[in-house]
Amino acid sequence: MTSIHITLYGDIAACGGGKYIANLDLDVPEGAVVDTLLQEIGLDPDERGYLFINAVLHDAPGLYASREISLNDGDHIGIFSIRHMWPYQYRDGIRMSAALKTAMAEHGGMRNTYRTKD
Amino acid sequence: MGDLSHAYEEVPAKWEKWAGRGLTSAIVADEVEPTCHPLGPNNKFVIAPGWVSGTPAAPSSGRTSFGGKSPLTGTIKESNSGGLSSQKIAKLGLAAIILEGMPKDDKWYTLVINKDGVSFESADDLLGKGMYEVDEILWKKYPNEPAVIGIGQVGESKLSNAGVSVNDPENKPGRYAGRGGLGAVMGARGVKAIVVDDTDGPGVDIADMELFKTGRKKLTDAITSHDLTKPTGGLNSFGTNVLMNIINEAGGLPTRAFSAGQFEGASKISGEMVAEMVENRKAGMTGHGCHPGCIIKCSNIYPDENGKELVSCVEYETAWALGANCGIDDLDYVAKMTRECNDLGLDTIEAGNTVAMVMEGGALEFGDKEGALGLFEEIRQMTPLGRILGQGVEATAKAFGVHRIPTVKGQSMPAYEPRAIKGIGVTYATSTMGADHTAGYTIAPEIAGVGGKVDPLSDEGKAELSLTFQAATAFVDSTGYCLFIAFPILDIPDGWAGMAESVAGVTGMAITGDDVIPIGKEVLKIERDFNTRAGFTAMHDRPPEFMRYEELPPHNVVWTIKDEVLDEVYSWVNGK
Repeated sequence: MTSIHITLYGDIAACGGGKYIANLDLDVPEGAVVDTLLQEIGLDPDERGYLFINAVLHDAPGLYASREISLNDGDHIGIFSIRHMWPYQYRDGIRMSAALKTAMAEHGGMRNTYRTKD
Repeated sequence: MGDLSHAYEEVPAKWEKWAGRGLTSAIVADEVEPTCHPLGPNNKFVIAPGWVSGTPAAPSSGRTSFGGKSPLTGTIKESNSGGLSSQKIAKLGLAAIILEGMPKDDKWYTLVINKDGVSFESADDLLGKGMYEVDEILWKKYPNEPAVIGIGQVGESKLSNAGVSVNDPENKPGRYAGRGGLGAVMGARGVKAIVVDDTDGPGVDIADMELFKTGRKKLTDAITSHDLTKPTGGLNSFGTNVLMNIINEAGGLPTRAFSAGQFEGASKISGEMVAEMVENRKAGMTGHGCHPGCIIKCSNIYPDENGKELVSCVEYETAWALGANCGIDDLDYVAKMTRECNDLGLDTIEAGNTVAMVMEGGALEFGDKEGALGLFEEIRQMTPLGRILGQGVEATAKAFGVHRIPTVKGQSMPAYEPRAIKGIGVTYATSTMGADHTAGYTIAPEIAGVGGKVDPLSDEGKAELSLTFQAATAFVDSTGYCLFIAFPILDIPDGWAGMAESVAGVTGMAITGDDVIPIGKEVLKIERDFNTRAGFTAMHDRPPEFMRYEELPPHNVVWTIKDEVLDEVYSWVNGK
């Protein structure tokens, strides 16, 4: 098994038994990916906003770049609701995954949300 | 103020097009000698509502711009605030209020402005009092629930971290034009408070009502449909402090005087926790509006453990400055210190960074919440230490022998670590205002004309991006709209067009979305020229030295943007 730590922010914290913040320690099968984790905690992928793994941004509201990312023992995953904002000027230059860079190159790198238009 | 007189003047043709930040900066640039002492007789204190302030139902349009030469930075300064003042000044038919000179009798005054004119009244009953009491006294003394623009004890003492308070709809002093010490500039004019009553004022002339209405609807629809700004959206639910956990997860949250990018107690002082406290204590509120007509409502009223209102509001920069940056994870103490800032008249960003300098200097341990709160009592009592603290970060750092000083042009950095979030660092370094997180709001790249030329995910092109964002911000700061309209109008082109059309409708100027950046650049040029004449050069557009060599965990990054990139941002103004 792979042991991971998750923090859920916003109303999706209900998936972890919290009000607006929930911390969970979970054991997932070896080879589990982000999609597995979301299924495990009962979080609809469409309700998932920004997603971090170990301080690296892997996904954004309306994008689906993290689904197949593998989880490793000791990982910390932070997941935000789709209502959480993060204006570009406050994330310009942060670390992000290669898959998310590719997705943003396709859909635009500066948008606040990718749910309102293509 | 020298002879306690006032005069109404028509707006000169050279300033006719301006409002808000554009107007305060144009007046300061034309009428203030750039090399003057900010607290001396040759500085001026300028107040201006935006283009659309005071118009019927323009959404979230209650920002007031305050301007002058800053005692904190030595640069030109525009700092703006919510609260009641913008709409009331505009409805009196005033484009700006300019305070000049200093009382010869060394006395303090309350200026009362209404449809009948201006009166100069003794402020003896307000001296030495904090802004909570000042607001209360003035609402009892004057009818019609007026706007109150005021300074606390820090402004009276003319210290460089004095902000300008504006009362909110509940007559509380939580709305501040905090940055840059303009409260000291107001204090140097001998003015403790300005009362503005717009009853029976002439209102705002609207040149083209149909165009205004069209623009207003587009903008309103954008705000109310976007995930971030709509009712129950991110800002409405968690306030600006919705960012605390995000920036922390990204490793960009300045922690313990900019020594780390993550704070283990971040979630305890976040917007989510504010919302939980409000619900658990069955008191206070989220989704609070800081001025009439705001439809975003990102403010909050934070209750104490007994369910009594403690302060409004605990927003992101404040919670970070007085929390994570000082290693403090107790939201109640953050709120108590915020209330102290609101009462004394301190900018919370500068105040939190100042406390962190005391901790960095070893006089307090990081995380010492009682000790941190005690520092505000030093300021309240105006002890020698309190006076140093009231001068802000650089003075305090010198007093405590600190060399890791997170400032640009004398103003301390807000809640985004430039080593981890490099784009904001370019704006911190080059802004005409010193380190300022509101100086460069992102707008849609295709509208700004940089869409096809700049890769936002690369280090290349940061200078052009920063300039474009700074110009867009200068425009929005001139409208009277809250800067947070930038979020929906970035994603919804109709909202962008609506903002420009509403301005065009009010003013009669032929402004479209295409004009936003050029007009914003005009404002920046005015400001940059003033700074040049005040002695600032490209060498002042630099981040703090320690960020170049000290690695920031968890990503262990240093500042890597080259100086030449910083120099590019304003090379179009003066070639330097």
